[in-house]
Amino acid sequence: MKRTVDVSIPLGPVHPCWKEPARVKCETRGEYVLSAEVELGYMKKGIERIMRGRPWQEVMFLAERVCGICSVIHNMVFIEALESISNIPVPDRAALLRVVVNELDRMQSHILANFSYCYTIEHETLGMYLLDVRENVMDELERITGARVTCAYIVPGGVRFDLRDEDALHLRANLAAIEEEITRYTGMFENGPLIALRSRGIGVLTREAAREACAVGPTARASGMPETDRRLRHPTYQKLGFTPVSREEGDNYARIMMRFQEVLQSIALIRTCLDTLPEGPIRGGGIPGAGETAYSGEAPRGELSYFIKTDAAGRVLDIAIQTPSIMNIEACCHYMLKGVASLADVSSTFVSSDPCIACTER
Amino acid sequence: MSLLQKVKNFVRSKSIHVAYVDVGSCNGCDIEVLACLSPRYDIEQYGIYVHNNPREADILLVIGAYTPGWEEKLRSLWDKIPDPKVAIAIGNCPISGCVFNRPHSLIDPPVAKHIPIAAQVPGCPPRPTEILSAVLAMAPVVFKDYEVKKR
Amino acid sequence: MAFSFTYYLREFFRLEWLRKFLFVRTAPLAIPSYFRNFPELTGKTCTHHLFCMMACPAPGAIDVIRTPEGWHPRIHQGHCIRCGLCVEACPNGVLTSGRILETMFFDNTALSFSFRIDVDTERCMGCGNCAVACPVNKLIDPQMSHGGRASTDELLLKVSEGKCKVLHVEKCTGCKICEDHCPNEAISVARLLEAVHAPEEEP
Repeated sequence: MKRTVDVSIPLGPVHPCWKEPARVKCETRGEYVLSAEVELGYMKKGIERIMRGRPWQEVMFLAERVCGICSVIHNMVFIEALESISNIPVPDRAALLRVVVNELDRMQSHILANFSYCYTIEHETLGMYLLDVRENVMDELERITGARVTCAYIVPGGVRFDLRDEDALHLRANLAAIEEEITRYTGMFENGPLIALRSRGIGVLTREAAREACAVGPTARASGMPETDRRLRHPTYQKLGFTPVSREEGDNYARIMMRFQEVLQSIALIRTCLDTLPEGPIRGGGIPGAGETAYSGEAPRGELSYFIKTDAAGRVLDIAIQTPSIMNIEACCHYMLKGVASLADVSSTFVSSDPCIACTER
Repeated sequence: MSLLQKVKNFVRSKSIHVAYVDVGSCNGCDIEVLACLSPRYDIEQYGIYVHNNPREADILLVIGAYTPGWEEKLRSLWDKIPDPKVAIAIGNCPISGCVFNRPHSLIDPPVAKHIPIAAQVPGCPPRPTEILSAVLAMAPVVFKDYEVKKR
Repeated sequence: MAFSFTYYLREFFRLEWLRKFLFVRTAPLAIPSYFRNFPELTGKTCTHHLFCMMACPAPGAIDVIRTPEGWHPRIHQGHCIRCGLCVEACPNGVLTSGRILETMFFDNTALSFSFRIDVDTERCMGCGNCAVACPVNKLIDPQMSHGGRASTDELLLKVSEGKCKVLHVEKCTGCKICEDHCPNEAISVARLLEAVHAPEEEP
């Protein structure tokens, strides 16, 4: 079939709205996007090749630096994969503290994603409000782990620092404030007529399309696939009685609302953890041994899998990482952008699927 | 240098436009630059406007360890920025390559090999306050005696 | 339209918003005490165990140099990633960063090092270079011959029956000099790091 294509418009790699370099090539007819392709390759560092032959204390930091935004979950999945290889037990207190830090990290990542979306649709007021709330979450992360972004908190057999009583009190007080503000901003987003006009019905990803594109994380859950949440299969989350939330619309609005809901859910999870936090040791020791395994966890953007093979001294012989963003980028450029969005909505739709180029290319 | 030029340079140094480019980092420094925008640090109260347009930038924040995808692209981006301009390396990656500077990696640090770097902010990632003070320290330097130096 | 106006009016005429608008100030550019900054020296004596260098995940971030007063760790900014592992690994508390030392004292946590030496018997030629180069061996038996054979069994490494044998792995300091001197890449030293609770000290 003959197609009439007016012009092919590239967006990026340096683009005012995108924090990271990626190029979206849109074939357009007038205002309408016929198809889109994402061109990657600006961030390839070869992390998996560097990791080979190194002990865990070096690979742990490399794994964290696969993605700076969701660094805690990379750390957690890598360490838990090592633990499952060599059957290292984790003390109860440490397991719950891991969940606390992981959920704080998820909160800041989701709030940042929503900030990017608000910034992209030029609703800077709400964006700045969200960024201000995010600073509170970062404060809590810093109080517990001692660093804002790459925390290096989780080690084999436990965590590095204990949660002090005064920090727990501070965390509870701050969580109440964050919950109140997030609820208010969710209301602003939900009811603000300008925001809804710009987001509802744009970049629709139907449930079937989401399944075809193997979408994961909030992108998939906004299209009505709650079963994609890997937290359902994590023992600590199962103990906490975690049930994922989902929405049905599958448009930009649903994806952003999904993240707001998950932030509130994370707050509830952290509260449950703090309530049930037992006394006890935080480190059990244990040296990783030989073996190989595949292990998955739920990153803020979706399912994250590590395949690891270690030798008897705990050195990583072979490693393969599958990050969630690659599926979401696929879903975004082949399903959301196609034929639906006008050129003005390309950047906001792309941002709403929360692509993380650094973890896609590693 | 005439008084008029001095006044002009002083006024321009109170209104700095910043662009940032990510040449292969882990994203950690990116989000710390974004955190500078937040009301807590509020980079705009100092007259610094962060956006991502090299054509009207005065300061370029370089983040990342220079991957092969940026061969020549970074240089051409640097050429597109109008004079006067400076580049600030944010984080360890542009300075030394950080943890990625190992055998078999694809990166080619330091960035100073490719474009001139005026200031460095060490840390992995640096705190927003550190980035902010670096930009504030560079802001008066950019325009100072620009006409004299050009000659 | 009317909805929008009333919405924004209600948003901006809240008492909290007005108070913030009139009186709020940006926080000073200060670094909080609990942030893990670049490690600093506490002034305690360094005993040259080099655990800081062994634990460090970043290339070229820390080295220990010798001055007339003794050994001193030196942090290289621009390489250091502020992970704080060197602070935890140091047995003497020479370095400090943020609250790490304090928390280690409260939680009674430590990083323990152990070493593991693997000799690939297929590749080992029994040349004895590793045993001669080993600094631990040098202290125990300074007269070791160049073939790596010795009469005492107190050594860390020794050649017997044409192969290199590891006798006392607990004496290893993890320096990896044997790896450098092996012509056939037959010996490998693994530095095993373990995050543990420090053993309770007897009162």
